[in-house]
Amino acid sequence: MSLLAELQKSFCDALRTAEAPDGALLAMVQDDDLALQRFQVYRNNFIVLNGDALADMFPVVKRLVGEKAFRMLATAYVRQHPPRDRTLLLYGDLFADFLQAIPELSELPYLSDVARLEFAWTAAYHAADAHPLQPDQLQNLSEEAFAGLQLRLHPSLQLLASDFPVHRIWSVNQSDDQDELISLDEGACRLIVVRPDNEVQVRVVTPGEFEFVERLLASATIGEAFEATSQTDPQFDLGRFFSRHLFDGTFCAM
Amino acid sequence: METIHKSGRKPTPVPIRAGAGLKPQHYQSVIEDQPDIGWFEIHPENYMGRGGPPLRYLEKIRQDYPISLHSVGTSLGSHLPLDRQHLQQLKHLVDRFEPGLVSEHLSWSHGYEWYTHDLMPLVYTEESLQVMVEHIDQVQDHLQRQILIENPSSYLQFKASEMPEQVFYVEAAKRSGAGLLVDVNNVFVSCTNHGWNIEDYLSEIPISLIGEIHLSGHSVQQVEGRTLRIDDHGSPVCSEVWSLYQQFISQFGLAPTLIEWDSNIPEFPQLLEEVSAAQSLMDGVAETEVRNVVTG
Repeated sequence: MSLLAELQKSFCDALRTAEAPDGALLAMVQDDDLALQRFQVYRNNFIVLNGDALADMFPVVKRLVGEKAFRMLATAYVRQHPPRDRTLLLYGDLFADFLQAIPELSELPYLSDVARLEFAWTAAYHAADAHPLQPDQLQNLSEEAFAGLQLRLHPSLQLLASDFPVHRIWSVNQSDDQDELISLDEGACRLIVVRPDNEVQVRVVTPGEFEFVERLLASATIGEAFEATSQTDPQFDLGRFFSRHLFDGTFCAM
Repeated sequence: METIHKSGRKPTPVPIRAGAGLKPQHYQSVIEDQPDIGWFEIHPENYMGRGGPPLRYLEKIRQDYPISLHSVGTSLGSHLPLDRQHLQQLKHLVDRFEPGLVSEHLSWSHGYEWYTHDLMPLVYTEESLQVMVEHIDQVQDHLQRQILIENPSSYLQFKASEMPEQVFYVEAAKRSGAGLLVDVNNVFVSCTNHGWNIEDYLSEIPISLIGEIHLSGHSVQQVEGRTLRIDDHGSPVCSEVWSLYQQFISQFGLAPTLIEWDSNIPEFPQLLEEVSAAQSLMDGVAETEVRNVVTG
């Protein structure tokens, strides 16, 4: 192996571990009694820079656990899951699963779903743009033809179902000066995250609306999705859903 | 205001003025206030999403200002091959936004199957130099344009290095046909961290290769009774670096100069003040030069 390759590999190993760096690596550094401390600057920068990216991505998780605990979690995450992309835009895709697996966080059972919501928000923010579906694209369709359509959902659209009131938790914690108490008895919620234009929207939807969109995402036609949804949720009101969302950018041009 | 259509837009040269790093916190201020700033610089990696508001804001701001792309993700000094997909994305941004300048670092961030995202130090050997030159060539070929290379801030030196940083830096540019982005703060940070002589460092730099200058803040740490300066772009430019900058532009002449912040981002007015301070020093040197020509 070339010197450059060898050095870069052992440098990366040492950046990632919490242990003292390998003696062989430090032996390659010019020694003025500060070799270790000099190396630590790089390790610290690596941890802080990528940890800052997580703090930007998950501000509500940070607020819920506190700054200090968040830093510890972020550091552990950076070591376990160092960035796999050339950009940091979507760094933290495994953070929710990572949080869920930490026994000490079991007192905050909603935390990983809050992380999922925050990640979905950023993913929607950077997702591809698309033109909204326009009424004239559906003009002159027979009822049968309409039912046979496969609608295209906006590329930013994501679904999130949680056993906890994560939408309320997330909303209330958008700023530091709100201190409302939320009871977990408020229960489950189902959310659609979508960015039809410039603003990311987080919408609370009914179980029927959720299932309907889920089926459309799985390439069902309008008719198929409606039929299946009506069976699990007889309350599902397709007319009401379409009157609000058919042309608001939830669906994009065909 | 005249609408500038993408198809008719030429790459606008970055003027020899002071500019600022463009931060999301400042998008609205820039669009609404149209501040008198010569140009803006961005990290292209922050605009590599598939779509969304950042690209829209940049599109809008690009209509009114020249921009420079300052890449942080190419990993020119890596023993691993360049990432073709990243290069494609960079090219796509260059084609779309037609920047006046494109730059990267004398550094690496890809040493394994993952990325450090922070700029890591090179061992200054002939082997590393060949890797750097080959990678700069590939980027320039792919983008069909010259890029500038920025000197790093460094905290350690490798025993195996065969030449001083400044020799490696200038040689990499000369062999590849790249230009130099001289970060005056990094010169100061590296020289003081290693006890190098600043005059010696600067004496290697050929005036003709300088395409841009960076200025930023750093933090100071006491370690075992010694001082280490850490380049964190999270504080105002310090007085020593302002003096060094003034000396630098008096000696080497003017180049587009960027005020760079990446953490503790200040309010926009504070950023503007620093940009004005850099502009004043540039104006001062320009005046002296004119006087010298007249009286000379």
